[in-house]
Amino acid sequence: MTDIAGNAAPLEPGGPLGTLGPAGDMVTVATPVTAVPRSAWRLLLRRPTFIIGAVIIVFWVFCAIFGHAIAPYNPLEQQLLFNNTGPSSAHWFGTDTLGRDVLSRVLVGARDILVVTPLATILGTILGTALGLAMGYLGGPFDLVVGRFVEAVLALPAVIIAFLFIVALGPSTTTLIVVIGLIFTPLIARTVRAAVLTERNLDYLSSARLLGERPLRIMFREILPNVMPAILVEFTVRLGYAVFAVATLSFLGFGVQPPTPDWGSDIAADYSGLLAGYWWQVLFPALAIASLVTAVNLITDSIEQVLNS
Amino acid sequence: MTGNIDHKRLGRLREDQGEIANHIIDEFAAGRLSRRDFIRRATVVGISVPALGSILAACGSSSTSSGTSGSTATATGAPGAVIKAGIVTPTAAINPVTVADQGGLDMLAQTGEYLCLSSQTLQLQPVLATSWTPNGNSDIWTFKIRQGVKFHNGQALTADDVVYTYQLHTNPKGNANALSAFGGVLAPAGVKKVDDFTVAFHLSAPNGNFPYLTSSDNYNMIILPKGYDPTKWESTFVGTGPFKLGSYTPKSGATFTRNASYWGKKALPSQTVFTFYDSQNPSILALTGGTIDVVGQFAVSGAEELLTGNYNIIKLKSAAHRQLSMRCDQGPFTDARVRQAVALTLNRPQIVQALFKGYADVGNDSPFAPVFPSTNTSIPQRTADVAKAKSLLTAAGHAAGFSTQLVTEQFVEIPQYAQIVAQAAQEIGVKINLKVESSSAYYGKATFGNSDWLDATMSLVDYGHRSVPNVFLTAPLVTTNAAKGTGPWNAAHFKNAQYDKLVGQYIAASDVSSQKTIAGQIETLLLDQTPIIFGYFYNYLTATAKNVTGVYPTAIGHLFLYNAAKS
Repeated sequence: MTDIAGNAAPLEPGGPLGTLGPAGDMVTVATPVTAVPRSAWRLLLRRPTFIIGAVIIVFWVFCAIFGHAIAPYNPLEQQLLFNNTGPSSAHWFGTDTLGRDVLSRVLVGARDILVVTPLATILGTILGTALGLAMGYLGGPFDLVVGRFVEAVLALPAVIIAFLFIVALGPSTTTLIVVIGLIFTPLIARTVRAAVLTERNLDYLSSARLLGERPLRIMFREILPNVMPAILVEFTVRLGYAVFAVATLSFLGFGVQPPTPDWGSDIAADYSGLLAGYWWQVLFPALAIASLVTAVNLITDSIEQVLNS
Repeated sequence: MTGNIDHKRLGRLREDQGEIANHIIDEFAAGRLSRRDFIRRATVVGISVPALGSILAACGSSSTSSGTSGSTATATGAPGAVIKAGIVTPTAAINPVTVADQGGLDMLAQTGEYLCLSSQTLQLQPVLATSWTPNGNSDIWTFKIRQGVKFHNGQALTADDVVYTYQLHTNPKGNANALSAFGGVLAPAGVKKVDDFTVAFHLSAPNGNFPYLTSSDNYNMIILPKGYDPTKWESTFVGTGPFKLGSYTPKSGATFTRNASYWGKKALPSQTVFTFYDSQNPSILALTGGTIDVVGQFAVSGAEELLTGNYNIIKLKSAAHRQLSMRCDQGPFTDARVRQAVALTLNRPQIVQALFKGYADVGNDSPFAPVFPSTNTSIPQRTADVAKAKSLLTAAGHAAGFSTQLVTEQFVEIPQYAQIVAQAAQEIGVKINLKVESSSAYYGKATFGNSDWLDATMSLVDYGHRSVPNVFLTAPLVTTNAAKGTGPWNAAHFKNAQYDKLVGQYIAASDVSSQKTIAGQIETLLLDQTPIIFGYFYNYLTATAKNVTGVYPTAIGHLFLYNAAKS
């Protein structure tokens, strides 16, 4: 089966660049398979790590949808005279600088990150897959030119690229999705290209070519199903990074605008209060981010292991 | 005035004083000036401290209480300490002509000295000038320069050095930061040497507050030796002050040693050590960890630990504030009732409590901060009144409310303040969408059409402290006229001929009672028009370790350590 882990490892943002030539791609896709086998789902559901990750994600998705209904207070309601109060029975997670309930803000704050993160990752995966398929299958000058361009983009720190775009386009949820999606595109394209390269010279593709199938059909009908496991794992890995990316950009003030609750921007707004001992204002949103990233990674690991088994 | 007035004695004293000084004496004798305001005005027009004491005595008021001397003269600590202070990093080279930031001005004043000091209570105290007097029109001010003063390089101070320094800073073709204050007030040709120890300033227009421009308030104006190249200053820090340069490392820190041949009372510390901090948190950690003894300035937000009683807090009333402007030329804010309605939603005492733990004064939607002696306090304070706000909005045809955008910067408590404003406005159906930008993006090019600060429908900006309200009254509120250079910061696009006229009168007025009368008219007009919401004026806060005494900050940003001691 696909050596997916080895494929994904050198592609972390800002990480060392793997060589792009065919010799440097240590990918071994043995035989054509048909997408992800149905039995994989049954295997996944038997893994406790997957169940734990899924439960956490389902919880946050629930909060994202029904946050306003289950939050004990209006997350925007200020009680200036009761600001910076510690956790109590009235406010389980305490209150922030403006006297807003931290618990309510954490619950409702799940919304934007859970909208932006998957959409950005899906966008990056779709674009990256298309690009990777084209690079891997067409090869030649196209691969060479686009490959160098991808390398150039990867050489820049992701946050700097995001800054450039967001400053130019102005901060908004849509911008965030597009920017993170575009940053992920070359990363995912490289993984997909590597997977395609090993497929390219296999017999079933030679047959398809002899039968006179068009390149687009070969790429999307013949190759795509066979590199799907690699894309699936890449998607979940990127999802974890997207959570970090969104939280980071929000923390830096490029995400959701106040007063909308958001984990990253809430930490940014209140972290100076740490010195004064208001730990609850930062700890709970930080734990929320951590739990979401952990959950995504638990699921990623499970999928990877199931596909490898 | 309640004391018995010795008119005979007062009459003799009046003979020694000029016309303007006598007007102030009359105001005081007639009870139109409080004792505190009288002392403040008297120091401006150059009535000497001994004369002041006699006048107060003649008017039946004690001359011995705190007012006249200021706290600089009261030193009780032991000499010889090494005082370690943390201040904000200077942003550029320490060039007396171009310095425009707090870290930089702090450095200037460690070794340099001004003609006079604007004290914590806004009284002027003689430093390198021993006295100053206006002519009858207050457009020529004559300053007597102190004799027997030596620069750190051994050169003696004379009127030539003062003339050189002032011509350097007033050169309209130069890049002097002080031009913002001297523009239209003093030109190089107006700086004239009378004799070796007398300088006359011939002003472009009468200005009753001119001595403030020679004081520490105009922080660039330390006196340099004649012919000294200000771009080289960073290597010598040459001045006349109680400390001499030990070492200076850009972006890192500086040390200063006691000047043994200082003309006045020698500094108490044997050495001072300054460490530069780019942000507040590390400086507070340094103080709480004992690495430094003094934090030059801190904001309440993030420094709550210092307010627990374990540190000495020096709290100065200041005029530093935030201005929330509403575009008077853009709907729906073209209607003054709409602007009033938004202002009426704010519960200011609560805001001051939440954002500053009470270390701020409530604002009354005009630049007249409580700290200014000319502020007319008889004008009622605006308080929260949602019902009235709603009816005003209905009368203006916005019963259902409206939606607008407020643009502001990521700076200290400003984003929190913006959220409070947005939340309060919701009570009257006004939905304010916030856009919080980095300061540089927000200011843009700082010209109309190229700046979110000046172009946004609602804009929330920071203003530092000034000792007189003149800049606050003119730059952000007077009708913008690019040719005349007026109203360059008028983010509200406020245009009111009556206001412009009143401000002209206010600036020309040289006595507090007429300033107060005009201030009252301005305050009333601004409450009615409300182009800008002045929510609060926050205090200037300095913290020291419990065992440190004698630290003297000013709200402009100075940190004087010459009387500092450790126990």
